[in-house]
Amino acid sequence: MNVSTQTWIVVADDPAVSGLVTTARGLGGAVSAVVVGRKSVADSVARAGVDEVLWLGEPGDGAPVEAYAGEVARVLAEAGAAPLAVVGATTPAGRALLGAVAARFQVPVLAGLRGATLEGDAVVVERSVLGGIAERRVQVVGGPSVLAVAAGGVTDEGTAAAVREVPAQPLGAARVTDVRVKEQTGVDLGAARAVVAVGRGLKAQADLDLITDLAAAAGAELACSRPLAEGVDWVAKERYIGISGQHIAPELYVAVGISGQLQHMVGVRDAKVVVAINSDKAAPVFAQCDYGIVGDLYEVVPALAAALRAGS
Amino acid sequence: MKIVVAYKWAPNPQDAEVAPDGSVDWSRAKGAVSEYDPVAFEAARQLADATGGEVVGLTVGAASVDSPLARKAALSRGLDRLVVVADDRLADADGTRLAAVLAAAVRSIGDVDLVLAGDSSVDVAEGQVPMTLAGQLGWLGMAAVSGVTPSADGVVVERDLPGGITTLALTGPAVLAVTTDAVVPRVPGMKDILGAAKKPVEVVPLDALEVPDVVAATTLSGSRPETGNRRGVIIDGADASSAAAELVAALRTARAL
Amino acid sequence: MTASTQDAGEPEVDFDVVVVGSGPAGSVAAYRLAQAGLSVVLIERGEAPGSKNLSGGVLYGRVLDEVFPGFADEAPVERRITRHVTTFLTPDSSVGIDYAGRALAEPVNAVTVLRARFDPWLAGKAEEAGVFLMPGVRVDSLLTETGPDGATRVVGVQAGDDQLRARVVVAADGVNSFLARSIGLRRKEPTNHMAVGVKAVVKLPRGVIEDRFGVTGDEGAAHAIVGDCTLGIGGGGFLYTNTESLSLGVVLRLDDLVRSGRTAIEVFEHYSQHPGLAHYLRDGEIVEYGSHLVAEGGLAMVGEVATGGLVVVGEAAGLTINSGLTVRGMDLAIGSAIAASDAVAEAVAAGDVSAAGLAGYRRRLDASFVMQDMRTYAKAPAFLERTGMYGAYGELAASIFEGVFTLDGTPRKHLTKVAWEAFRRSPVRARQLVSDGWAGVKAL
Repeated sequence: MNVSTQTWIVVADDPAVSGLVTTARGLGGAVSAVVVGRKSVADSVARAGVDEVLWLGEPGDGAPVEAYAGEVARVLAEAGAAPLAVVGATTPAGRALLGAVAARFQVPVLAGLRGATLEGDAVVVERSVLGGIAERRVQVVGGPSVLAVAAGGVTDEGTAAAVREVPAQPLGAARVTDVRVKEQTGVDLGAARAVVAVGRGLKAQADLDLITDLAAAAGAELACSRPLAEGVDWVAKERYIGISGQHIAPELYVAVGISGQLQHMVGVRDAKVVVAINSDKAAPVFAQCDYGIVGDLYEVVPALAAALRAGS
Repeated sequence: MKIVVAYKWAPNPQDAEVAPDGSVDWSRAKGAVSEYDPVAFEAARQLADATGGEVVGLTVGAASVDSPLARKAALSRGLDRLVVVADDRLADADGTRLAAVLAAAVRSIGDVDLVLAGDSSVDVAEGQVPMTLAGQLGWLGMAAVSGVTPSADGVVVERDLPGGITTLALTGPAVLAVTTDAVVPRVPGMKDILGAAKKPVEVVPLDALEVPDVVAATTLSGSRPETGNRRGVIIDGADASSAAAELVAALRTARAL
Repeated sequence: MTASTQDAGEPEVDFDVVVVGSGPAGSVAAYRLAQAGLSVVLIERGEAPGSKNLSGGVLYGRVLDEVFPGFADEAPVERRITRHVTTFLTPDSSVGIDYAGRALAEPVNAVTVLRARFDPWLAGKAEEAGVFLMPGVRVDSLLTETGPDGATRVVGVQAGDDQLRARVVVAADGVNSFLARSIGLRRKEPTNHMAVGVKAVVKLPRGVIEDRFGVTGDEGAAHAIVGDCTLGIGGGGFLYTNTESLSLGVVLRLDDLVRSGRTAIEVFEHYSQHPGLAHYLRDGEIVEYGSHLVAEGGLAMVGEVATGGLVVVGEAAGLTINSGLTVRGMDLAIGSAIAASDAVAEAVAAGDVSAAGLAGYRRRLDASFVMQDMRTYAKAPAFLERTGMYGAYGELAASIFEGVFTLDGTPRKHLTKVAWEAFRRSPVRARQLVSDGWAGVKAL
């Protein structure tokens, strides 16, 4: 297959594309976008730093964005030489577009991206695999590199690329009949500036009050390691950090009574500052933290909450 | 209504050992029905019971996905029958290749109205295979499905999306990836497991399926994630108050507060 | 699920035999009963056989060779023990008595096994013989009825909402046997002797193990260690080779341990860092560890092993021998399974599964090596020289395990430095360890 230097981003009715554009731009060549969804999204993407936008038209008759996935793949396949890379978002709709593209070109979807660079004329991808416990440098030879990345935010580069409408025919299998705005009951650990997590060092569920108090003093969300969410159900599962749980990158992460097993620590590897509190000076977490206090959490946690309040 | 549940028999990375070169030792991890898939089994069963349909389990992978234990584990969770493609040539298959084999198997099962799957697998955890399967089939693929219920002329799908709870009327074939809270899966009892042994299992040879060639990624190198490259300032907590004060001062200096 | 020996007029059963527990005792009993033509279900509470079992041990294999001739060539055994070494440690030296010889390996005398690999193989053999393997099911209770003779007899098991009826239930549910206790076959009062065992699996490359222990190919070594390895507490240590790991452990007299004021973890720390063992353990990584309360009632514990409709096998029947250095159980379990399966098959064929009908199990057991060895070790077990009675078992267990429960994580460190901390930082298993420990205490 003749592979060009052209990179595409595929957009599922979501103007937050900075993560896609950054990855695509990093590969050097021209960056075009295929946008499914509203015209306003296509216009926004046009200002996000791409060279060209192909817009599949205003969705009619309640077709979900996923109904256009096959058309996105067709547009890429018919755009001339096979793309160097196709970048999409890890969102539910993003994965549907990427799945159609991967199936069209019969190539893998590379998620868990930590970096993608052009070496010679090949895209070399650094990625986390298996929930983050291992890493691989890989390349795809014989087809486009299809990359799934975090969507990022909305950006405006000041200039707008041309938006060209391309006719497309969605699948008619489903029609949206209702959208209701969610009550905000969920936890968004990913958006938290600071997170205080607790592990098996906690002796009783009632002692969680100590940790929630520290979290309140630090302006942080509460989180936990796996045993507290799945072993004993002391903390909601959405608050569990680790390979099959949340992966977060807060400014401050405080691990209380958590030993620092790899399967947990990969969930916070991108945190800016990691603090550990543990009574066991040999706990692996102390080799993976910026600041550690070796001491009894039942003494250190209240003292820390008090110190935080005293200073604020 | 004929519903296929595409499920995965996979080990849990929680039990894996990772060497510095990134190679993964699975010897302490046992295969099991991937932890999000029982929800798909249950959702399919409820839908089929409401519509008078059939639930067909489908899994593809290495030969080990077709042990007696694996069969019972799947069939005891509400399936009517099972279709298995178990071949060691699929041992290291990536998601696109697995999706290609799944798609070929769905076609060979024939007259399938709906494919359900768990939103993500326990081992790979990327949530991509169901959507790539939809791509391979040329069907509508939707993830984040939080509810599937019958309606007069098809199925009502509820999705938990960032933009809100979205309800759709589904009339055509689709691949739906269901979230963990879509339904509460059953815990198989002794009678379920005994019943499982009586249900038909069809073993489909890989070579009997029309599977397109899939380009695999080439691994150049591997590593264990670096989680230890940090400052490592350790404070003795024997005096909790002074340790706390020292930490708060350090965090302020580092602008972490 | 046709019961092969169903006669008109008899109560309907789902299986001839329900076996609870898929360790060596349960799997071998199930296998032999299926071979005898009975319909058998083998119920396991873990998601798969072996999943509830930590590490492994030395299996004295001759008895299993009777069931599966040449099993060591087929089964996932780690190494065949060709060197038996007894090491005497002083604080700064060690003296070893080394008995080595290929003759130990043929026919198979002792092999090391890791239960997570070995148990699935054994259960698989049972399955091949026609046993219905049923994992992921926790049996809640025995079903009982009053028989024509007025005696209570076991007629099946209950799990959740489901019942399975059988002519005979084989309780192979391990050292804390809930089933045997529920029907009054295991004593509830404290026995005289208890020990706590602490064991770790230490990963090392194959070649390194062979160099350090002087073995090649599938050969292995078993070291019994006495002297300055238990800080003066009655008991001893062991160290043996798996294919790519070592099993390292201590067995401690509970009364002595309590008297010493130390915890089992401290002792294990001392032991694993002992200079006399450093050569073997250097650069090893603990990948698994656990602690086990061993109820060592010896002969006294093996009172009744059968009642109407029920036989008890393996550790569930109290069949362990604590030599003071190691705890031996797997071969006794298999021996009891052979005796029990023969007796059950006979009783079912004769149509009498009452206590009297199943009495053949005890006769066979008494005549076998199992009870012979139990009696031999009961006479003069070094470990059991002194006795102790303890009132507050709960406190006792709490003090022993203190620190095990409240910490978090999995060890990934070099053994010679931090073995004990690594032990204390328990992964998910620690929770099971707590409950197993408590169940053990309650059982006594």
